[in-house]
Amino acid sequence: MSTKGFIIAIMVPPLIYTAIITVFPRLMNNRVPAVSGGLVVIDQSGHVTAGVRRYLEPQAMAARREAAFNRAMESTPMGGAASSGAGGAVAQRAVMGELTTIEITESPAGALEQAKQQLTRDDGVRRLGVLVIHPNAVAPNAEGKLGAYALFVRRNLDIRIQNEIRNGAAEAIVDARVRAEGLDRKRIDALITVARPASITVTASGESATRPDFGQLLPMGFALLLMISVMSSGQYLLTTTIEEKSSRTMEVILSAVSPFELLTGKILGQMAVGLTILVTYSSIGILSLVSMAMLDLIDPSLLVYLFIFFLITYVTMGSLMAAIGSSVNELREAQSLMTPITLLMMIPWLFWFPISREPNSLFATVVSFIPPMNAFAMLLRLTSTSPPPMWQVWLSIVVGTLAAVGALWFASRVFKIGLLMHGRPPNFATLLKWARQA
Amino acid sequence: MSLAISLSGVTKTFGSTVAVDSLDLAVPVGALYGFIGPNGAGKTTTLRMIMSILFPDRGELSVLGRPGAIEAKDRIGYLPEERGVYRKMKVGAFLMYMARLKGVKDFSPERAAAWLERLNLPGVQDKKCEELSKGMLQKVQLIAAVLHAPDLLILDEPFSGLDPVNMRLLRELILAEHRRGATVIFSTHVMVHAEEICDHIVMLHQGRKVLDEDLVSVQRRHDPRALIFEPFERGADASALAALDGVDKITRDGSTYRIDLREGADPVRAMRAVAAAVPPSRLEMHRPSLEDIFIGLVT
Repeated sequence: MSTKGFIIAIMVPPLIYTAIITVFPRLMNNRVPAVSGGLVVIDQSGHVTAGVRRYLEPQAMAARREAAFNRAMESTPMGGAASSGAGGAVAQRAVMGELTTIEITESPAGALEQAKQQLTRDDGVRRLGVLVIHPNAVAPNAEGKLGAYALFVRRNLDIRIQNEIRNGAAEAIVDARVRAEGLDRKRIDALITVARPASITVTASGESATRPDFGQLLPMGFALLLMISVMSSGQYLLTTTIEEKSSRTMEVILSAVSPFELLTGKILGQMAVGLTILVTYSSIGILSLVSMAMLDLIDPSLLVYLFIFFLITYVTMGSLMAAIGSSVNELREAQSLMTPITLLMMIPWLFWFPISREPNSLFATVVSFIPPMNAFAMLLRLTSTSPPPMWQVWLSIVVGTLAAVGALWFASRVFKIGLLMHGRPPNFATLLKWARQA
Repeated sequence: MSLAISLSGVTKTFGSTVAVDSLDLAVPVGALYGFIGPNGAGKTTTLRMIMSILFPDRGELSVLGRPGAIEAKDRIGYLPEERGVYRKMKVGAFLMYMARLKGVKDFSPERAAAWLERLNLPGVQDKKCEELSKGMLQKVQLIAAVLHAPDLLILDEPFSGLDPVNMRLLRELILAEHRRGATVIFSTHVMVHAEEICDHIVMLHQGRKVLDEDLVSVQRRHDPRALIFEPFERGADASALAALDGVDKITRDGSTYRIDLREGADPVRAMRAVAAAVPPSRLEMHRPSLEDIFIGLVT
């Protein structure tokens, strides 16, 4: 592989991830579809319709959505800066969609059945639903109980439109009740609202606003780093071994070096590539933390653990990849053998959520000692807000090292036999047999 | 006489197939050995075991005084039967890489170019391997096998796929390596090649050694009972020869005759008698081709 190609290959993934992190949340924002249609309100209390009408005015809905958008942008990483300014305005328009217009018609109580019937009709008139406000919604009934409302909607009505209607109903009912008691709504709102200031993290180098999302991003970042560096170098080990075998270069090389030397050379060489990837990406990460003045949030010892767990996981997975590569004739045949290995690598991602939620649960502890998942689990736990006890970390490292040595042993045996085997691709049972024989 | 290679009782089985069956072999230093035998006789398996690429199930093996080739790989040159190259690599870079693998410290691009020149491939060092024809690649691989001046040179089917000009080139290279003092072993299933250059023949058949002696004695031992005769005068009557003492029968083939001798007859006396009866332009012991011997042994 040429040097230029290598540099490009190493730089493209972080660019893609950055793009995903910055663009994805924008695309994910609640984009209310442009729906317009009629809503029949049957107000049995007689005090609510005006409030519903006010709440569901197009301008009011647009204003609420804009406020929600700005809140969402501020809580995504790097989003705060982007949402202000010209770029933010464009993004905002893009996610907000067209304005929704809901036309409200009032009906007497007796018209309920007919209105419901009309919801099922398909005559070109768009009817969204029927909102029935109960008679005791504003003033308590004879038994002193306050009522609410019922909402009937047509099939497949967007859930966000439904929420808008329900919020509108609730808001209008509360408003009417407050007014019925002779109180001032604004004053009540002011009384029950307390500002929620962000906490401030105090570190040796100063104080800064706490980033609540950072606690989740750090384990994610470490696990992702480990995954990328291990998988990309493992994959490369697999393909180069298969290439040497299928092009029959193998025996020429074997005339100069022994199979074990070849395996060792391959694993060490690819490890250097994996480390280059790891160092490049973590430097990018650290530099961006420095630029945000958040370097204090990473304990340098975490980087040492990342390095150790990379070595362990890489040698384990790389050995297995090389063993598989040596035993098949072409990439296609490697697929069936690769499946269980890829699964092993994917499992930690399924565990990501439970482990990062409860870093010291029994489940997380057990997974920390099962190679090759232990590295992921341990990194998630180490970088979490409640790190595991030291003895667990070191036990996990010891278990991982044993697994790495075992995988290397297995690979060296399979390698020796597999290199010159052409013909039917083996399964795992055959590989184990080879390892025993060699 | 020190041995470059010695095998004793070496056996290798693949599944239920016995590829090599208790093979004993002693190749002295400086010898030029030919491995012959039909396809599937066990030649490649034997060479791979010598190279420590395969390992025998049973038996002892020593190469250049070591228990296996792994310890002596830098002193061995090997051209495998299944030979490939890194297709995207340039020829010069491939040779440099192989030289480094073999521990040659001072191999330079100039030396690579000189080797390519010598094998009639001038200027290809900057081409990618995939741009070369099969025969050209084979010569590149041959250079990779000899560029570190090995003490032992093992060539598995080196002649396959070469045209006559390149075959001669290869033959000269093999002989030059032999003169330099290298022990050379090569395998072939084309007997003529072995006949042309080897001084010692090992024949394998179904994993067993059926022949292991030097070429001249093989030929002498296998058919001492025929003379090839061509009369000095064209059209001379040679029928009188049939009546000579010790002659069994004569058969004519164009202008030459084949004189078969009776069992136990002395070929030297018979030659004298033939020369006395009809003046010869050519009279020699019939040397059977390896092919004849081969077919005689195998069938």
